[in-house]
Order: sequence, then C-alpha cells, then structure tokens
Amino acid sequence: MKHQPFEEWLLNETPLSHAQKRELDLHVRSCAYCSALLQTEKVLRSVKLVAPAEGFTGRFQARLAERRLADRRRRLWGSVLFLLGGVFFLFWLAAPSLFSVFVSPQSWLASFVKWAIFLVTTVQAVMQAGEVMLHVVANLMPPFAWLVLFSAFAGMTLIWSISIWRFVRVPQGV
Amino acid sequence: MTDEKTWVIQAQQGSDEAFAQLVETYQKPVYNLCYRMLGEAEPAEDAAQETFLRAYQGLHRYDASRPFGTWLLSIAAHYCIDTLRRKKFSLFSMDAENDDGATFEMPDASALDPETESVRREQSDRLHLLLKRLESTDRAAVILRYWYDFSEVEIANALNLTVSAVKSRLHRARRGLAGMWLEEPAPVRPERRAYETPAF
Repeated sequence: MKHQPFEEWLLNETPLSHAQKRELDLHVRSCAYCSALLQTEKVLRSVKLVAPAEGFTGRFQARLAERRLADRRRRLWGSVLFLLGGVFFLFWLAAPSLFSVFVSPQSWLASFVKWAIFLVTTVQAVMQAGEVMLHVVANLMPPFAWLVLFSAFAGMTLIWSISIWRFVRVPQGV
Repeated sequence: MTDEKTWVIQAQQGSDEAFAQLVETYQKPVYNLCYRMLGEAEPAEDAAQETFLRAYQGLHRYDASRPFGTWLLSIAAHYCIDTLRRKKFSLFSMDAENDDGATFEMPDASALDPETESVRREQSDRLHLLLKRLESTDRAAVILRYWYDFSEVEIANALNLTVSAVKSRLHRARRGLAGMWLEEPAPVRPERRAYETPAF
C-alpha cells in the first residue's frame, strides 16, 4: 500500500483492525514521516497538565478587588467629568444672558417678565385646548377603544422600562 | 444538583466564595491551556487570571446548558489567540521558565523507571517548543483535542469555527508538528557508562 492511506489513518485516528494495525506498524518502521506523526501523537497524549504556582485563587481575589476599585474610580471620574462638562456647557449657553444681566439689568428684567408671561399664557392655552380635545375625543371614542389605548400605553411603558433596566443593570457579581 | 452547578448559580447571584470555589476547581486546566498556548509561565498566569475575571464579569451570559469548564476554556482560548495575535512572543528556553519557580512539570513520583520518566519529560519539553511555532488557532485546536479530549464539534463551538475547519486545522497542525519533529533532532543525551552514578 502507498503512504497516503496510512497518513490518513494516523491523522483521522481511524479505529483499525488487527491486520490494518500490523500493516501500519510495518509502514511506520520504514516511513520516518509517519513514525514522527505517531510519535508526536503519543507525546501529545502523554503530556501532563501544568499547574499554576501556589495561591492562584488568592491572587485572583486580589486582582478582582483591584479591578473593582479601578472600575469604581473610572465610574467616579466619568461622572465628575460628565457633570463638569454639563456645567461648563450650561454656563457657555447662559453666558450671553448672564452678561446682559450685568450690562443692563432693567432690560433683562423686562425681557424675563415678558418671557414668563408668554410661557404662562402658552401653558394655559395648551391646557384649555387639551381639555376641549379631551371632551370631544371622550365622546367620540367608545370605552373599548380607551381600553385598547391604555393597554398599548401600559405595554409600551413596560417594554421601555425593561429596556432601560437591561441597559443599565450592572453585570452580576461586579 | 452538582456542587459545580450550585457554585455557578450562587456566583451568578453575586457570591464571591462560590466563584472562588470555581477558580479553585478550574485553575489547573485553565492555566495549562494558557501555558501551552503562550509558552511561558508569566503570561500564562496573567491570561489565566484574565480568563477568570472575564468569566466573572460575563457570568450572566453563561448558558447553563453548556458545561462550565468548556465555556471557561473557550474564553481562555480566545484570550490567548488574541494575545498571540497582538504580540509576538520570543522563544525562551524551558530552563529559563523553571528558574523563576513559577511553573514546573513535576516528575511523576509514580513512574517506576526514572530513565523513562526523563525521556518523557524531554519529549514533552521538545513538543512544548514545537507547539509555539504553530499558528495560534491551530495550536488552540491541538491543545483542546489532546489535552482536554474535546471532540471536533466541541472545538468548533469553543473556537467559533466549522467542524470541517477544525478537522483541517488539526490535520495541518499534526503534519506541521511531525515535520518539525523530523527536522529538529532530539537533543543528544550523554551516554552513561556502567560505573558512573547518575549524578555525573
């Protein structure tokens, strides 16, 4: 027999009959490559597991504690930077208004009052329009439709809450 | 329920003691995989530690239908493959590794014949050096196959490969090892004369 089938037997670890084993044995004696294949397999199977140095679990626990501390520090610094960035951004947005307060307080006060009146009247108008709409729609929609609408709203709220929870939850054990 | 499953559940619920039990149980297989993959004791220790840290942080993703050990070894194999891709490791001699006292393959006390044990260790060291020259994924496949008795399907799952890819990688690795084994003759062992003691 040629070399190839023997190599395939060795590589595929094919279960062999007695006759095949004898043939393989004869071939291996004359073929250095197949002999090396057989020998490396034997060595691979005989090599023992290597153990780490004593105290591996203790070192792991120390490393875990370090990692937790680093994570906590990173989160703290992230929050501080976020907060400072937000404060700086707000200051940057409010800077022109703040500047105008110091330059001419009367005109700033007048524009503030004007803006507050506009806000209050707008809110009132929206609320009145809402009340009218609610009366109209309440009469138009049957109770069943209200039930469906509220169920859909509750479902959406539930999905939203679960999504938020999944995104923000800290992995177990960390 | 087995101890292991109980520990996993308790660890998932945040118990550090339960996870420490898992570390204690799996430290040897995980470390051995990292050592065979990276070839050196210190990076192997780091990789094994990192494997357990990653497992700890990813416990909520662990699928309980898979054996915990397989999942852990899969994390270790991926970590080592990534490490090897990022960094080229220089070849150190086994002596250098043993000098730092971190890793020893202890002589088998049960071995009756010290000569046989010595040959076995020599061959083991030689193979360890040859393994380092395999491509990282091939190396992982060989290690999982021959040290951990993983089937081709299990290797495929652990390394995110197809079964046929695993088979071809194993064949390539075995051919490579045999080729290198032939090319590089074993170190010559000094012949001991009958009147000499083993110490000389």
